[in-house]
Amino acid sequence: MTKRETIQERLSRQGVGRREFFKLSSALAAFLSLPVRDGTRVLGVDTITPRPSLVRQVRHALETKPRVPLIWLEFQDCAGCTESISRSLSPTLTDLVLNTIDIEYQETLMAAAGTQAEAAKQAAMDKYAGQYLLVVEGSVTTKDGGVYCTVAGKANDALLKEAAQGAAAIIAVGNCASFGGIPAAAPAPTQGLGVDQVITDKPVINLPGCPGIPEVYTNTVVHYLVFGALPELDELNRPKSFYGVTIHDRCLRRPFYEAGKFAGSFDDEGYRKGYCLYKLGCKGPTTYNACASIRWMNGLSFPIQSGHPCLGCSQPGFWDGGGFYQGQSAPLERPDLLAIGAAAGSGLALGAAAAAANRAQKRRARTERNESGG
Amino acid sequence: MTWDEVLRFARGPLFQVALLIFVGGMTYRLIRVLLLGWERDRVPAMGSKSVGVLKSYLKGILIWPFIPWVKDTFKRNPLIYVAGGLFHLGLFVVIFLGTAHMLVWKSLLGFGWPTLSLPIVDWMAAGAIVAMLALFINRLVNPVLRMISGPAEWLNWGVVFLPLVTGYIMTHHLWFGYTTLFSLHMLAVDLLLIYIPLSRISHFMFYFFSRTIHGTEYGKRGVMP
Repeated sequence: MTKRETIQERLSRQGVGRREFFKLSSALAAFLSLPVRDGTRVLGVDTITPRPSLVRQVRHALETKPRVPLIWLEFQDCAGCTESISRSLSPTLTDLVLNTIDIEYQETLMAAAGTQAEAAKQAAMDKYAGQYLLVVEGSVTTKDGGVYCTVAGKANDALLKEAAQGAAAIIAVGNCASFGGIPAAAPAPTQGLGVDQVITDKPVINLPGCPGIPEVYTNTVVHYLVFGALPELDELNRPKSFYGVTIHDRCLRRPFYEAGKFAGSFDDEGYRKGYCLYKLGCKGPTTYNACASIRWMNGLSFPIQSGHPCLGCSQPGFWDGGGFYQGQSAPLERPDLLAIGAAAGSGLALGAAAAAANRAQKRRARTERNESGG
Repeated sequence: MTWDEVLRFARGPLFQVALLIFVGGMTYRLIRVLLLGWERDRVPAMGSKSVGVLKSYLKGILIWPFIPWVKDTFKRNPLIYVAGGLFHLGLFVVIFLGTAHMLVWKSLLGFGWPTLSLPIVDWMAAGAIVAMLALFINRLVNPVLRMISGPAEWLNWGVVFLPLVTGYIMTHHLWFGYTTLFSLHMLAVDLLLIYIPLSRISHFMFYFFSRTIHGTEYGKRGVMP
């Protein structure tokens, strides 16, 4: 195999000077020391000062490593995660594509179509075998031989297994690819599965969300490029750096929760004052994601800040996790009145039967006593 | 099994089953008591029975708790009286006037009501927990209480204490993850629901029977407690 051009070599060929290259390294290092906006503010400007060792590590990676080849597969999805990631602002997708990654196949974004696209994918899989990152968006269906989701006439599970074989690692983007998401929600006609339920012999890193936070995705890719390994994961295979704390723990409305000040409806006094949305069904306390710290659109806002309770979209089974606007303390389902009636009825019948049996026994005892003793 | 799955199980199917057992069990207990028999009252009453019942409730709930020192029960066992009262009051406030719990009732009944602010509910919960600990220690050190305490008594205490203490730790994010404690809290609540009909914790229902019957007797005889 011929030695591939490193990122630095490629950049210098394109006319990027040493100074510019250092700037890029520092910027990438800064992206890794998240959250990005937590730097000190000097004269009203965010200053980001990543650790020098990290900058050196990034520079070393850029000087010695070629661009990361990447194949992106879409199955039962809405392309919402692609939409989301194309809006990443630090690093931008453009930055990533031009400098550090090499997207070989992406159905929504690529210009090629049909057999040409499939041929390009096959070529990339052959050329970069064992090196490429496989990104999966959307859930996988294996029901009835995978007929419910096919690309170019091939069943989705077969496509996934084929692409997974030569992948260095797999990144499952969004709740669908991570945990099955909406296609796995009841009644789940296609029985959507998360990638790690189908592929068990490769490292799968889950970046759930509906959609996933763009910076979480881009930073995971940069992390892989710089350190050549996947970040530390939690029990659901999510990077701890982004999914380590709950929305509730970093929520700007948290003080209102502590003080017991809640919005009771979407148009009451408490809502207008920006009180806690717990009573309106917020799932923040059990949802692990970085929305409350990184936020969306370059740190502009996130659902709770904009006045909507958290839906818990980075947790498994969030779609079936009780009503979106029902307080989290409530049971998942309202009990069936018929079942309650049946329970009460059987209690009543059993009680009455036991009482009747007792009474009969008592009567029998009394007659026996009367007969024997008079 | 992740805590997420435990939580979904405890809030979903297990809760449903526990609720059905609770409803069925309590109906059974109620019917058994009701069918014990109603003897016809052949003695002419000296006073109004319903007034007796009313007075009995008013005195029991609104008067005695605020002037406990006139009662012998208090004079003999001030600790049990105060701690017991504090525990019951705290439990009532937490279950019915805590926001999170009102939402449970709302989801079950279809309507909600105004609740107390968290800090107040919180102090009540803390009071109930401290009271329960005091009662536990009292039961442990008092020789008479210890002799009449069997496994059922200790179990009653534990099954009620678990939801209280897990709920308190959860609301305050004291230890462990929120999901973990939420799961433990729900498991404890499910256990409590299943256990109530089997135990003397069912006195939350039979209390009203005893007070009504006593009130009737007092009213009938024209004497007031």
